Amino acid sequence: MVGLDGLEPSIVEGLLARGALPNLARLRAEGGLGRVATTSPAQTPVAWSSFATGLNPGGHRIFDFLRRDPKTYLPDLALNEYEQKNAFVPPKAVNLRRGTPIWSVLDAAGIGSTILRCPCSYPPDAVKHRMLSGMGVPDVRGGLGTPTYFTTDPEERPRESEQISRLERRGDGLYVGRLIGPRNPKDRTDMTVELLIRPDREGRRVVVESSGLPRALEVREGGWSEWLRVKFKAGLLTSVKAMVRLHVLAIEPELRLYASPVNFDPAMPMFPISHPFDYARELADEIGLFYTTGMVEDHTGLNNERIGEEAFLAQCEDVWRERTAMMERELSRQKDGLFYVLFDTTDRVQHLFWRFREPDHPANQGRAARPDLAGIIEDQYIRGDAVVGRALEHADDETLVIALSDHGFNSFRRCVDLNAWLRENGLLTLKAGHDPGTHGDEFLQGIDWSRTKAYALGLTGLFLNIEGREGQGIVPPDEADRLKAEIASGLTGLVDRETGGVAVNAALSREAVYHGPFVGEAPDVVVHYNAGYRVGWSASMGGVGRTVFEDNTKPWAGDHIIDPALVPGVLAMNRPFRAQGARLIDMAPSILEALGAPKGEAMEGESLFS
Amino acid sequence: MKILVLGLDCAAPELLLGWDDLPNIRNLMAAGGYGRLESVIPPITVPAWMCMSTSQDPGSLGVYGFRNRADHSYDKLSIATSRSIQELAIWDQLAREGKRSICVGVPPGYPPRKVNGLWVGCFMTPDTSKDVFTHPPDLGARLNALVGGYPVDVKGFRTDDKAWLRNQIFEMSRKQWTVVRHLMQNEPWDYFHFVDIGLDRMHHGFWKYHDPKHVHHEPGSPFEHAIHDYYRHLDVEIGQALELLDDETIVLVVSDHGARALDGGFCVNEWLIDQGDLVLNEYPAKATPFAQLSVDWSRTKAWSEGGYYARVFLNIEGREPTGAIPKADVLKYRDDLKLRLEATTGPDGTTLGTLVFKPEETYHNLKNVPPDLIVHFGALAWRSIGGVGYGRGTFHVQENDTGPDDCNHAQFGTFILGSPRGGLAGEVQGARLIDIAPTLLELSGHDVPPSMQGRSLVSGLSNTPPPSLDENQVIRDRLSGLGYIA
Repeated sequence: MVGLDGLEPSIVEGLLARGALPNLARLRAEGGLGRVATTSPAQTPVAWSSFATGLNPGGHRIFDFLRRDPKTYLPDLALNEYEQKNAFVPPKAVNLRRGTPIWSVLDAAGIGSTILRCPCSYPPDAVKHRMLSGMGVPDVRGGLGTPTYFTTDPEERPRESEQISRLERRGDGLYVGRLIGPRNPKDRTDMTVELLIRPDREGRRVVVESSGLPRALEVREGGWSEWLRVKFKAGLLTSVKAMVRLHVLAIEPELRLYASPVNFDPAMPMFPISHPFDYARELADEIGLFYTTGMVEDHTGLNNERIGEEAFLAQCEDVWRERTAMMERELSRQKDGLFYVLFDTTDRVQHLFWRFREPDHPANQGRAARPDLAGIIEDQYIRGDAVVGRALEHADDETLVIALSDHGFNSFRRCVDLNAWLRENGLLTLKAGHDPGTHGDEFLQGIDWSRTKAYALGLTGLFLNIEGREGQGIVPPDEADRLKAEIASGLTGLVDRETGGVAVNAALSREAVYHGPFVGEAPDVVVHYNAGYRVGWSASMGGVGRTVFEDNTKPWAGDHIIDPALVPGVLAMNRPFRAQGARLIDMAPSILEALGAPKGEAMEGESLFS
Repeated sequence: MKILVLGLDCAAPELLLGWDDLPNIRNLMAAGGYGRLESVIPPITVPAWMCMSTSQDPGSLGVYGFRNRADHSYDKLSIATSRSIQELAIWDQLAREGKRSICVGVPPGYPPRKVNGLWVGCFMTPDTSKDVFTHPPDLGARLNALVGGYPVDVKGFRTDDKAWLRNQIFEMSRKQWTVVRHLMQNEPWDYFHFVDIGLDRMHHGFWKYHDPKHVHHEPGSPFEHAIHDYYRHLDVEIGQALELLDDETIVLVVSDHGARALDGGFCVNEWLIDQGDLVLNEYPAKATPFAQLSVDWSRTKAWSEGGYYARVFLNIEGREPTGAIPKADVLKYRDDLKLRLEATTGPDGTTLGTLVFKPEETYHNLKNVPPDLIVHFGALAWRSIGGVGYGRGTFHVQENDTGPDDCNHAQFGTFILGSPRGGLAGEVQGARLIDIAPTLLELSGHDVPPSMQGRSLVSGLSNTPPPSLDENQVIRDRLSGLGYIA
């Protein structure tokens, strides 16, 4: 099973018609190829969790990247959390995904699985073969990825999800900077490693000397360095091994450098990222060091316009290469059971290169036209097709080969600020002295809870401020259904006043979308946006904007968190299957049937082979 | 606030605090305070654990070692048992406030003490399949069933069959830790105290393989890493125990004394004979325990008991049955003997660095019958051999009268103390074994009885919690780089 994250059916179909995807075409000829219904929301962690468990989100608990604590209204990542029993034992990562994933069902049936980088598989499960965790693995800062911008400019301020490290130019022309590592758990200060940087202007490169390995690291202008393996120390007792790649932005007139998020070292990660624990190290010993964070490609750097498209694509190329090497190594060893690998570079590239397909995209305003980049997305699909071809080489007549994308893709031109809409409709009130659009009011901090009935957070929908459930709830529980219906009907068909287009296809009460034990944790109202729309940047973080609609001008100009009916995934298999009405939740039962294992007890999907 | 004491008998600070592949130990060190811990004189399992638990020195307990003179006769030695300790221990102090304690293997722990809670006997228990070794008595059968026979020691640990010994010690320790975790999880407790005796047995059995400076070191032996392996085993067991705690428990990992290489045995009674202090009716043809010698008491001024250290007794007129030192001369004679003992030399003729202690200068009280001098030959690099018959003038031997033994105890044990709120941080200097009980009492919010001889290590320390990160910053850290919400 090869996962190709976010392949859009219409693009696949177009490329197939051009004969550009020979391996998917082969699957189509041997078995079939079709669209596959994704989850609501059409989002990677949600969709792959439904794939793995055969359950709708109400059964596996992953409704969004974000969740909130109703008591405090504070947001947090919804994929995993850390538990620390007491001050004397290290924290442990805990997966928040519920339900029984297919690899556990197979394990119970005595069938092994090798699972590489499936979203929401962190911490790794003790599978019979091997597991390498994917989306959910943090960098050493604990987030999804925090890159560092090195500059001599004392005025420079960090952009989104970024940290600044000041370079100091010494008399001898060398620069001194500090690589920022994890926070010291004791005093919360940053653990750092000193870098001594020797610019070589003629050679168009710099040499970075540090206590890490290699001691002297060459970084050529425009490219990424090899991995620099470092050890951050806090006092005598605490040290963290990690690794980072550097990128030179400019050598003259003043040096500017960029560092990828600091990744766990597969040989000694801060938290387990593989099962067995040493598997990540074995893999690195064999195929070389690889990115370990859950979201590898440095979209932050590109979205912040720190790094250019070329640097981003160079990194994507590395990811394709290392992920393919992992796949090849395991496929050449594995004799039976389930093999799964996810390639998610396709998703990241589409987010950031979609605007080059649409010259009139708002994100192109004020930015130089790059017609040379218009075909990058197709290139990535072709790359993905080649990976499927490599997998097919390892398949015998008895092997079921699956290529699957979890959702499609679309343009993200206009932002819908749900909190601004709630405010306009009298359902949300800001505290006295707080104006909409105030910077620093994200995380729902500007809201007067005593006069707020509903609030939006995350990418999926919005929540009611319910008495007894929320910390300062005011909506009586018996009025919740009526209010949900009122909001849903108000949002459904919402018209973008500027363009005249419909922005919201449907807003639905969560009970209409989900069923199962965790429905109570879902947003109360789920919003299905029309093509071209998505929740606004500020509202997703609990901010309240000035206007309901605005252009999306960020390089992150493609997205898929819209009406799931508009962004189905793609499924291709080398065995005939029932393509009509195929859903992601049908995949686990299908694979179980193919492997002769009983269907998971609670799985909602149906095998596509029966 | 609860208290968990994990005793590692004989744990050496340079190993426990020095090895960096003990992640759970390192975590605990990073979360609390740690350092060397000065033991009592003598640094011996009995009475050291009870000195720690009562905050009383050996003289105040009236227990100067495993074997103590019962009276001033020449032959009556009594073995210390749990009943020899009359002073109130920390669990007795806590019981006065209704707190429950569970003690597992705290020496001397046989016969079992009737604590307010549970007691499991120590290595001195003769036979756990026959004898009552727990309080309440029926607990023993439960523990035997739980682990398939509860072991308290490896019988015959002074052996040359090292593979057997290693396996036996590891198996014993695993069973004991299983019991510890079982009791931690299934029984109520406010104070829990376990002593792993296996580490002491490992040190005595395997030190020569571990320590390249040991006189009998065998490089490349299959047992080279046996001691290190045992520390790693302890680290894993400790980590599993810590996982069971809530965040209202004080944790102490502690040893009663340290460990050091043993250079050999010093034949103290041979030396006393040579010096003219001890006179035999007949010098034995072969090595003979002191108790079996025919001593001319009328001409004998001093004799000694062997062991890891020496207890030297004077034959005083009016005190011993056939006293030979006039009362008036005792102090002068003893000073002279002390000087001569301090000047003892090794096989190469250089001074051993022997330490000699006078009980009245060492202890607050002198209960029962103290030795007249306490001698650490070569500061415990040499153990004391009590037997005679190694050949006149032979003071240094490599064989041991009680079986093969590679290590002696060292004066400094070690401790790591973590408290959920405040407490110690970083390396702590000057801590003593008798400071432990008052420290634990103060940390857990109890009064320290004035009779305790140690001082609380945390008295006067402010309890400032570590700075907490701004909540929003925590969230920002967690969500950094999500992309969708940038």
